[in-house]
Amino acid sequence: MSTTLQFYRAGDSWVHRLNPVTKLAFVAAVTIAAFGVERLWWPAALFLLLEVPGAVIAGVAGRFVRMVLGFFAPFLVILFLLQGLTYPEPGTVLLHLGPLEVKTEGLVFAGTTALRLLVMVAAFVLLLLTTHPGTLMSAMQQAGLPPKIAYVVSATLQIIPSFQARANAIMQAQQARGLEVRAGGAAARVRRLLPLMGPLLLGALTDVENRSIAMESRAFGRPVRPTAYTVVPDSAAQRAARWAMLALAVLVIVLNTLGVFS
Amino acid sequence: MIRFRDFTYAYPTGEAPVLHGVDLEVRPGRFHGLVGASGSGKSTLAMAAAGFIPHAQGGESTGEVTVGDLVVADTPLPDLVTRVGLVQQDPFDQISGARFTVREEIAFGCENLGVERGEMVRRVDEVMERLRIAPLADRSPYELSGGQQQVVAVASMLVMRPEVLVLDEPTSQLDPAGSRMVVEALAAVRATGMTVLLVEHGLELLAEHADELHVIADGRIVAEGPPADILTDPRLDAWGIGRTRFTAAAAEARRDGLWPRSRPLPATLDGAAAGFRAAANGELE
Amino acid sequence: MTNTPAARRLPPWLPITAGSAVIAATYLYLVLWRPESLVGGAGVGPAALIALAGYLVGSALIIAGAMSRMPTSTVTLLPIAIAINIVAGQINNMVGLPLYLDSIGTVLVGLLAGPAAGAATGALSNVIWGISISPASLPFSTTQVAIGLLAGLFARWGWTRRVVTGVAAGLATGVVAAFVSGPISAFVFGGANASAGRSLIVAVFQAMGFDTLGASIGQGLTVDPVDKAISFLVAIVILRALPARFSQRFPFARAHAVFRPRAASVLARSGAEAPAPADPAPADPGPPPAGAPPGAADPDAGDGTTGGGHR
Repeated sequence: MSTTLQFYRAGDSWVHRLNPVTKLAFVAAVTIAAFGVERLWWPAALFLLLEVPGAVIAGVAGRFVRMVLGFFAPFLVILFLLQGLTYPEPGTVLLHLGPLEVKTEGLVFAGTTALRLLVMVAAFVLLLLTTHPGTLMSAMQQAGLPPKIAYVVSATLQIIPSFQARANAIMQAQQARGLEVRAGGAAARVRRLLPLMGPLLLGALTDVENRSIAMESRAFGRPVRPTAYTVVPDSAAQRAARWAMLALAVLVIVLNTLGVFS
Repeated sequence: MIRFRDFTYAYPTGEAPVLHGVDLEVRPGRFHGLVGASGSGKSTLAMAAAGFIPHAQGGESTGEVTVGDLVVADTPLPDLVTRVGLVQQDPFDQISGARFTVREEIAFGCENLGVERGEMVRRVDEVMERLRIAPLADRSPYELSGGQQQVVAVASMLVMRPEVLVLDEPTSQLDPAGSRMVVEALAAVRATGMTVLLVEHGLELLAEHADELHVIADGRIVAEGPPADILTDPRLDAWGIGRTRFTAAAAEARRDGLWPRSRPLPATLDGAAAGFRAAANGELE
Repeated sequence: MTNTPAARRLPPWLPITAGSAVIAATYLYLVLWRPESLVGGAGVGPAALIALAGYLVGSALIIAGAMSRMPTSTVTLLPIAIAINIVAGQINNMVGLPLYLDSIGTVLVGLLAGPAAGAATGALSNVIWGISISPASLPFSTTQVAIGLLAGLFARWGWTRRVVTGVAAGLATGVVAAFVSGPISAFVFGGANASAGRSLIVAVFQAMGFDTLGASIGQGLTVDPVDKAISFLVAIVILRALPARFSQRFPFARAHAVFRPRAASVLARSGAEAPAPADPAPADPGPPPAGAPPGAADPDAGDGTTGGGHR
């Protein structure tokens, strides 16, 4: 069982070595760009020309595809069923299925939305596959993220696995005693679920006081500006690239408004 | 170094005071042990020594606690934590979670103090070397055993260079192997001449390391002195503390006339061994 | 890029107010004013972008403002609360309940530490869920901001002292949550979501003639009120099960008597009782009883003798 929740795959590629803040700027830029243009091919192009090559260069292509599809496939199916069959706006009806109508506009809407989500999710997956969470938080703190916020994110990422382990142990113990947690109606399932979670919640909360004392003993929350033990490499080129990517994303919106893409 | 003067304290939600008129002095360079039954107020005393009582807990007090020239109740907590380090019972709760490797976890306190990076790297390396945890440097603190985590907690305090280290039952939640690791780490701490107040339920650890013992029962300090005297005191049972295995074995032997009558009961392995050796040689007077 | 976050130099209410204003403005723009582009089929791009950007910027400002002066005792509560959100949410999905159950921790913090802390917990919760398990939950962080904010406000107004009013507060919070998450569900996700059951409800609403936004809000209204009522109930039950000392450590819970009507000070009571434990050391004369200080009758002055603690 991993001790941190992480997608990270160790590697030494050019993408891995980038400052995490640069990769974060990339996520923001492609997401803005994907939502900024009203063309079906545009998000597909961003995905195929920027994100897939990035994953290939980083040597994480296989995992990248599996994870993106894992997040994305259920959405895709549901989205096409939902907007394909019950698209609420007027449009060209392709097919009548009883009370439901398949409309061209519905399919285009589902396709565009799906591809935009694909760009957003894939950018995140690429960031997380090539960036250790510790490096991500160190880099963000270096870039000005307040230490308290960095602490909450880091600590949560590391505490959740121990929680999950405890929750799983409780669920398995219940199942071993013959209690089928999935059986029965919703009300019956809620009734069985609540007593299972009680001890987990109480135990975790009573530990908070000790955690708080431990953090204060470590001078956390002092008014002085903390120094950094780990320094994440950065460069002038990367700083420039970050601003350039965001500027390009905004430019895309401007060009779209001017009608360049239509 | 740390001094309690007629200190009485009650928790904000408590029905009655937990500490009654405590007078206690922790002297520079000495290893002090505080022993008491569970519920005797010993953890409360540790928290008061480190300033978390009253600062984090609230509550009411009379008398005072001082650390060096600072009156604890009048000094903000951030100014106290640089002088008194605190190691608590549960190793898991003491991992900050803010950092992802043991090395960074130990450095975390120095970062918050604003220690310059070169100095910080030197301090972290030195303390890992001293406590023999350098091989763990790049692992996640969450992957470690309880004993290893507790040694990391000790290192995380030492690296901040406090004047006193207060430990509240650091081995109480560990298995025997984990306890041994912490005991070895404490021996290394003692060797540096650090001032220590070790709060413990078990006597053997204290018998081994302490220069001076304080006994707490029902929130009062009821006895003080060198471990050899305290650990063989006939009132130990009344205080709810019990005895070390060595004292108990020698007492059994004495009842059966197998312990040299002139010899006091031992509190350590060495003392017990010497007594039994003498008895075996026929020196029973 | 500066190392001293701006939020530290500003009073904390400023970014919180600004963030709330950005979120409110985004919402009003999207829902009430209905930009032209929403009517056209694929024309939701700008709306989605505005929803994403407005909500995320607003949440970020609220997080920065709420956390800038948060005491360490509250900061250390957040990871636990967020872990509760995420693990409970996952168990919910695993067991297959038609609920979310992913805001119990947010409500807990709202009750213990107030609206701002609750809002920060909620926002960070979905950010962390987004970067750890499910990127799709990140855009919904604003819904959790609203939940945390309302939990804190209802606690301040005394609704959480009794279970009945606590559950009512949860229902009301759920209604607000449904309206807040509507634009994200509709514009960013096209009405779809990871649960087939919930998506089916959207489909039914659309087939009944609602637009995607209306159908998404309608779907929210079928689930959120019940879900938030359960979350409030669980949070209140949990906090009552913990020793009183736990909630008393949080100045907000203490000041607003979140869990019970104000009672006489325990300090005054402890001062009135003469401590008479068995004294094993006859030499020790025993201290005088700890006298209640003049301020001890006021519950708000709970730790008035302590010098105020860490700020």
